[in-house]
Amino acid sequence: MPRPEVKEITFSLDGREVTAPEGMMLVDAANKYGDTEIPVFCYEPKLGQPVGACRMCLVEIEGIPKLQTGCSTPVRDGMVVHTQTERVHAAQRAVVEFLLINHPLDCPVCDKGGECPLQDITYGWGPGTSRFIEPKRHFKKPLELSPLIAIDRERCILCYRCVRYSQEISEDYQLVLHERGAASYVGTFDGHPYVAPFSGNIIELCPVGALTSRAYRFRARPWDIEGAGTVCAGCPAQCNVELTVRDERVLRVLARDHDEVDDGWLCDKGRFSYQSVHSDERIVEPLVREGTELRPASWEKAISVAASALKKAGDRAAALAGGTTTNEEAFLLQQLIRDDLGSSHLSARTGPEQPLDVLRALADPKLQASVPDLEFAHTVLLVDCDPIDEAPVWDLRIRKGVRRHGTKLVVASARPTALDPVATSALRFAPGAGESFLVALDAALSGDTGNLGGAASAAGSNATAVREFAETLRAAGEEVVIVYGERALTGDAGRALLNVAARLNLGAIANAGLLALPGTPNGRGLREAGFAPGHGPGYTSVAAPGRDAAGIAEGLANGELHTVWLHHADPLRNYPDRGLWERALGTAQTVIAVESQLTDTVREHADVVFPAEAYPEKEGTLVHPDGRLQRLRPAIGRPRGTGGMPGSGVRPLWQVIVEVAKALGFETGSFLTGAQVSRKLFETVPFYAGITLDEIGGRGVRWVEREEFVSPDWDPASLSVPAALPPAGEGKLRLGTYRPLWAAKEVDLSPALQFIRARQVAELSPADAAALGIGDGDRIEVGNGTRVRAQAKIRAAIPAGTVFLAEGTREDNANVLTHGLVEVVRVGPGTTDPSAVPAQVQPAVEGLAEAPQSAPLPIPPREVT
Amino acid sequence: MIANIDTTLFKDIDEPGLNTIDVYQRRGGYQMLRKALQMEPGAVLDEMLASGVRGRGGAGFAMGRKMSFIPKGTMEKYLVCNADESEPGTFKDRELMQKNPHLLVEGIIIGAYCIGATKAFIFIRGEYDYVADILDAAVAEAKAAGYLGERILGSDHSLDLVVHRGAGAYICGEETALLDSLEGKRGNPRLKPPFPAVQGLYQGPTLINNVETLMNVPVILQMGGAEYAKIGTETSTGTKLISISGQVKYPGNYEIVLGTPVRDILFDLAGGPLEGRTFKAFFPGGSSAPVLPLTDEVLDLPYDFDSLAKAGSMLGSGAIIVFDDSTSIVDVAYKTAHFYRHESCGKCSPCREGTNWTEKMLLRIKNGDATPMDLDIIASVCEQILGNCLCVLGDAMAMPIGSMIKHFRPEFEAYIEQRREEAGLGIAIPQVNRDASAGPKPLLRPAA
Repeated sequence: MPRPEVKEITFSLDGREVTAPEGMMLVDAANKYGDTEIPVFCYEPKLGQPVGACRMCLVEIEGIPKLQTGCSTPVRDGMVVHTQTERVHAAQRAVVEFLLINHPLDCPVCDKGGECPLQDITYGWGPGTSRFIEPKRHFKKPLELSPLIAIDRERCILCYRCVRYSQEISEDYQLVLHERGAASYVGTFDGHPYVAPFSGNIIELCPVGALTSRAYRFRARPWDIEGAGTVCAGCPAQCNVELTVRDERVLRVLARDHDEVDDGWLCDKGRFSYQSVHSDERIVEPLVREGTELRPASWEKAISVAASALKKAGDRAAALAGGTTTNEEAFLLQQLIRDDLGSSHLSARTGPEQPLDVLRALADPKLQASVPDLEFAHTVLLVDCDPIDEAPVWDLRIRKGVRRHGTKLVVASARPTALDPVATSALRFAPGAGESFLVALDAALSGDTGNLGGAASAAGSNATAVREFAETLRAAGEEVVIVYGERALTGDAGRALLNVAARLNLGAIANAGLLALPGTPNGRGLREAGFAPGHGPGYTSVAAPGRDAAGIAEGLANGELHTVWLHHADPLRNYPDRGLWERALGTAQTVIAVESQLTDTVREHADVVFPAEAYPEKEGTLVHPDGRLQRLRPAIGRPRGTGGMPGSGVRPLWQVIVEVAKALGFETGSFLTGAQVSRKLFETVPFYAGITLDEIGGRGVRWVEREEFVSPDWDPASLSVPAALPPAGEGKLRLGTYRPLWAAKEVDLSPALQFIRARQVAELSPADAAALGIGDGDRIEVGNGTRVRAQAKIRAAIPAGTVFLAEGTREDNANVLTHGLVEVVRVGPGTTDPSAVPAQVQPAVEGLAEAPQSAPLPIPPREVT
Repeated sequence: MIANIDTTLFKDIDEPGLNTIDVYQRRGGYQMLRKALQMEPGAVLDEMLASGVRGRGGAGFAMGRKMSFIPKGTMEKYLVCNADESEPGTFKDRELMQKNPHLLVEGIIIGAYCIGATKAFIFIRGEYDYVADILDAAVAEAKAAGYLGERILGSDHSLDLVVHRGAGAYICGEETALLDSLEGKRGNPRLKPPFPAVQGLYQGPTLINNVETLMNVPVILQMGGAEYAKIGTETSTGTKLISISGQVKYPGNYEIVLGTPVRDILFDLAGGPLEGRTFKAFFPGGSSAPVLPLTDEVLDLPYDFDSLAKAGSMLGSGAIIVFDDSTSIVDVAYKTAHFYRHESCGKCSPCREGTNWTEKMLLRIKNGDATPMDLDIIASVCEQILGNCLCVLGDAMAMPIGSMIKHFRPEFEAYIEQRREEAGLGIAIPQVNRDASAGPKPLLRPAA
């Protein structure tokens, strides 16, 4: 889709000539190009079309008799604007006076005080005093708008930002304005708590202290804090954030607006899970198992135990990485395990690996779509992923494209996605049948009718549906962006995906391409740093490819592998087949874990534990799924050990790997600073050549935009039809799993997010639920032999014959189940756990907002002087 | 009564059964539709432009020009009839729709033909439920007779007409708020531009006109635009329905030729003041119009758009509300402010807070806890509202209240003193300057 062309125009601003892009709103043009601030409250370009409600930005434009709102007036060539006339000043003073009429002016006790646009604008443009002596309006306050957000309706200046956000950006349609005129107030329609994945953004949007973070309330004032920019490492979306730090503690997370990454929004997990950084349950010093117990140990001891275990293991060592592992850590660890010890058993994926030629072709810069492409493409195709759970801000980005630019969204997934309601077309296939679907789609696009029928039915769909879907995909235009989830990449799926891309000619079309949604936040970086069994840094071939994650588990279980290094990886929680991993870790001679808390994996199986850094403490680089290298900058110091002794406590993880390598006498042990490791990484990976940390800076560098990558053009070859999955029937349902946004250890450890922590919920279709006699909210068990307890949730969008369970939950994790077909048994009626249900918000108005007309106003007679 | 008036809209308005299609057609109804369909849409538009007829809803914008702003093209266009007659004192559209609904239907069909709209709506205020029933019946009759629906009378023109009942908010009479309400949203005004003619209902070009304006369409077509333009004054052509209410002998709806002197309207049509009273002031065009004291000068004004504008008020919707010497201007001011405070949608700050504040100050005057300086603040607040709002509702309060203080300040002051005395507060001594620069004085800095 063509992006708007920008033409430069010149207009006059207070007698000066200013050049700005045509069509830019006057307030932006004045601020950015004219060095003149026009005050605004309701205007926020991120919220879409201006509404002109607050009237703060009134300016005089020659030729128009009335004052105009600068926020809604696009600049035109030759326009003559005055922002400093007495008439404009009078109007601006008037608006400030009006806004302050009902504002309590409790700035000394208000969280916003010191960073409040209303304060600033009052100082800059307000009248200084008020002539209003009537009683102000009163509401009960502060109230819980949600467990995360407090609302103070007296402070609200009714700018509509939060309501517009809820209605037009996050599209959760929860916030509305009640009543009318001066009695208006913000709330949810029926007073339920405003719980939504992106609710926290309204705190940042609020231009006054009406919406405040309950977690941050009264913790600090703006003059107590420092801002530290870094990147949120909670999911692959890698939003740019600014951490609010007071006394070496992270107290708040704010968005650090980056159009090409996050568009200035954050999800609630990213915004509130910083609390886990300061959890009491954090491991802050090395632990070594003595007998059956893990005991605190000195760094020297832990490193020597780990080093001797690795020495003994040699090429029978293995490593898994995940979570917030940086490129540097991955690079060093793969160098230690592969180059130094001679083992290629390195896995950063929970599932099977794709062949090297496929991986190289998928990483081809020509095929890489960027995040803004999601917004401007003609069509976005989601394959077996749901951005709301896997990279939440992408969900907002896709909604923005659909709403504002007419982007068509088509979804192909096993589980209904949150974006289905805005999709042009949604195709359901059986859980785990992503490969069959991609083969069928490839066949539909190439006109291979033979393959189409077989693959479509193997996917649990049919040829007509897939053909229609393929037509929809092509209908809107040639710029197609395919977002594929890592879980879809099994068997020939990678080849099929590349075929599809080749048939749609995505490599040759600018602004089109593929965008992978990896299973771990830095999935792409780990791969590019060489942390993979099949290739080294920069997709270089290796002599002896290693095992994938399941292979490592089997190798450990049957004694072929000795020692495993778990780098931010928690197999018992996050990897499929918990039973196998229990055996594997139980049999392994040494388990070295890098972890921040006592997970099941650590408590039961780890022999050496190195305390992990939280992302605000980390230094290093990450790679965004669209190929952007971003820097993690340490915002706070690492915690000290229990004694508080210098040198105890958490150490940088790159340094830990280096020290282990040094103890083993390897070359890897020669790095002295983190920056040296980064430099070595950039030198080693061919397509990072020439990049420096300085260049990455705060905005990142997309290597795919500047580097050629030698990869032959993909030649679509015919594929065989994958085997069909067993169908549901005889009382069994197909089992599908998904990873909820809230199933994460950071969420478990954040007090603010307890109310939304993921619990096991089994999603059933109404038909299956009726057949099994299960009601919404009933307690049920799902399984085949081994069973998982869950609460039933009946969703009309779930296809009949399928049940979906959450992965990665702390309790009742679906990864104990290994069969594709499961029984669902009702155990009993549901119980309502009072602590799980957020308290209802009380009715908003205490008594009447206004005194009754007939009653005398409670103003004492004034002394007239 | 005024002689030589040719009533057009009110011609035989009380004929029994005029609301049925049979009687309407017998009287020549729907002939103008036939005539229009023979003409090119552009030719119909030319007649409207030639007539110079100005909108009867309040703003007085020329209808033909508004029609000509609708872009040509194949996009979906809409015509919306604004029958949300909520302006206090206005009740002309009610009588028109109740007694002669088919004239409105005919006018809408011709108007839609003229701009190429295929969907039309009548947005009627919820309180006019029984009138909406009459309109529904008329629309059904017109549909059965082939005047509405696909290919009207064999032409290429098709039109759907829907009668939509509003939910009772004054603001929904504002055209963009009306559109939002019609779309099923909260009735809040939209930012203009884009104007509805460019981007209105469901983002399509939309023509919005008042009931009386649209009813004039068949009349203009019958007379010919140029002929119609000869009625009235040069810039205010045609006849106008006026709703007279308040303290007069004969309140009611009257049709006048624009330009008729106010004296003739108030003394001849309305029968003058009640026994033993004298006129004090009036709202010339609904409660949003600035009040004019009924002096001889004002009584001699011709009642048309420009003369009233020149005199500092406006013709508005043609609703004349008259007060005599028995009415306190403070009560009028308070009632007016209360209405607008209650009806402000709350979207923009000056209107939301300004109407609220003004009402509170007027209430304080009534309660005997005010000083004459409060009048300065009220006037200043009204100044601060004027022209600074998103739509005209704020102005609609600021203008009458401001005019009342301007014309009747001595009465306000006397009222304040009297109520203060009754409240035992003693007289107010005007000492403190409380205009825009009011407030504590800056601290004196010691000399260097």
